[in-house]
Amino acid sequence: MSLSTSFRLRASSCAAALTLLGGCEILEFSPNAYNGSKDQTNLTAKHLARLAANPLPPGDTLRFVFSGDSQRFYDHAENLVKSVNQQRGLSMMVIAGDISDFGLAREMRWIDERLSKLNIPYLTVIGNHDQVGNGREAYQHIFGPLNYSFIYGDTKFTFIDTNSREYNFNGKIPDVPWLQQQVSNLQGAKRQVVMSHVPPDDGDFDSRLTPAYTNTLATAPKLVFELNGHRHSFRIGETFNDGVTYINSSSFERDQYIILTVWNDANDQPKYRLKTVHF
Amino acid sequence: MRQFLPLLLLSAATPVLGQVAATTPAASAASTFEARPWYRPNHVQVQTAGGMGLLAAGVGYTTLRDRLEADVLVGYVPEKHAGSTLSIFTAKLLYSPYTLPLSDKFVLRPLTIGIYGSYTHGTINDEVRGQYTKGYYWFSTDTRIGPLLGGRLSYLRPTTTPTARQRRISAYYELGSNDLYLVSLFTNANRKSLSPADVLTLGLGLKMDF
Repeated sequence: MSLSTSFRLRASSCAAALTLLGGCEILEFSPNAYNGSKDQTNLTAKHLARLAANPLPPGDTLRFVFSGDSQRFYDHAENLVKSVNQQRGLSMMVIAGDISDFGLAREMRWIDERLSKLNIPYLTVIGNHDQVGNGREAYQHIFGPLNYSFIYGDTKFTFIDTNSREYNFNGKIPDVPWLQQQVSNLQGAKRQVVMSHVPPDDGDFDSRLTPAYTNTLATAPKLVFELNGHRHSFRIGETFNDGVTYINSSSFERDQYIILTVWNDANDQPKYRLKTVHF
Repeated sequence: MRQFLPLLLLSAATPVLGQVAATTPAASAASTFEARPWYRPNHVQVQTAGGMGLLAAGVGYTTLRDRLEADVLVGYVPEKHAGSTLSIFTAKLLYSPYTLPLSDKFVLRPLTIGIYGSYTHGTINDEVRGQYTKGYYWFSTDTRIGPLLGGRLSYLRPTTTPTARQRRISAYYELGSNDLYLVSLFTNANRKSLSPADVLTLGLGLKMDF
């Protein structure tokens, strides 16, 4: 984007906004504030609506892109979008948190400006960097809820905030009772996926809640895997040897993402295929 | 305009500090400050945005023949725009080398350069003791520093005594940025992706010199 185009975009809404203070990004009240763009708000709801408008035929396999930690890697984000847009048969992209580096609204909008050029909807879960300062509020304004679930293509997705350290290990994050409620009821879906930023074996996860959290996943019906970010490098395995597969994404900086394909076999058991794409 | 140009260049080239040193402190105080107490500010101001609040108000001092200003402001951001009510304490140092009289009532200062530092009180997730290991986040969540670039148009108010300081009301703009935005622009290979316009902030204000 050239300097002049970008400036025009930022300034375009400003003339009107001057009379209605706060609707213009360049007139920033504080980097910790989120006044500005009226379009870049409730993005989670908007992308879920796009998904709902393009349902998968029942019984079809579901293909989606998985990555995480886009923080401050704007040029990598542009390349990722170009690569993902060349792929066929994808329904959506999911990002395992740390959209921003400093928890600032403008950073989240910079990432959205790039990811909104994807041909497919993208959905996020909050990361620890997204909670610095007033980031948690900025995230909720720009994206939406911290914990949410939805069903698409016979798959239930549950996204949960596991950034315990950002709450100074108050014993309530992650919200295990909420997770239990979500994963125990498939609501008609044939399989399920859970995604959170901090993996449960990490020091930033509240260790007092680790057993309850991992047991909840181990007893969740038809769980395909849990997806995590935070560590910036790819990892896959049964971390707790309890039958639950944990997949950790690379950060945007590593110039690779994962394509996951999920379906149910003849015995109605969930299966998946993982493909790593370098760009 | 043309007749001012040599004057401008001359004024910019002249070492300002030297000029001040040439006058005795007593004479300087008498002519510019009219024996006002040293602590009395030279101006008051109100401002919106620029990262310093929805509304910020402050006072400041002028020195170096009206070219250097040191301002302090207290700003306010209501909860609806940030998730919590923020108070922002800002200090600015501004240098305006050129003064262009447009008429006997209006004066333009086309260039102001400066720096600011601010401290924000009231953020939600502000580090508590022991929350993070040392160096977990390398940056401060509530202390910002950044450059400023602006200009102003002043209306000269009539003065009662000929020796009085120039009373004026000025409208100013300030383009700025902050450390975190500049880090975003200049690290990694982001200059290929982010544009300088992306990291700009704009502040608009009124300043009254008396």
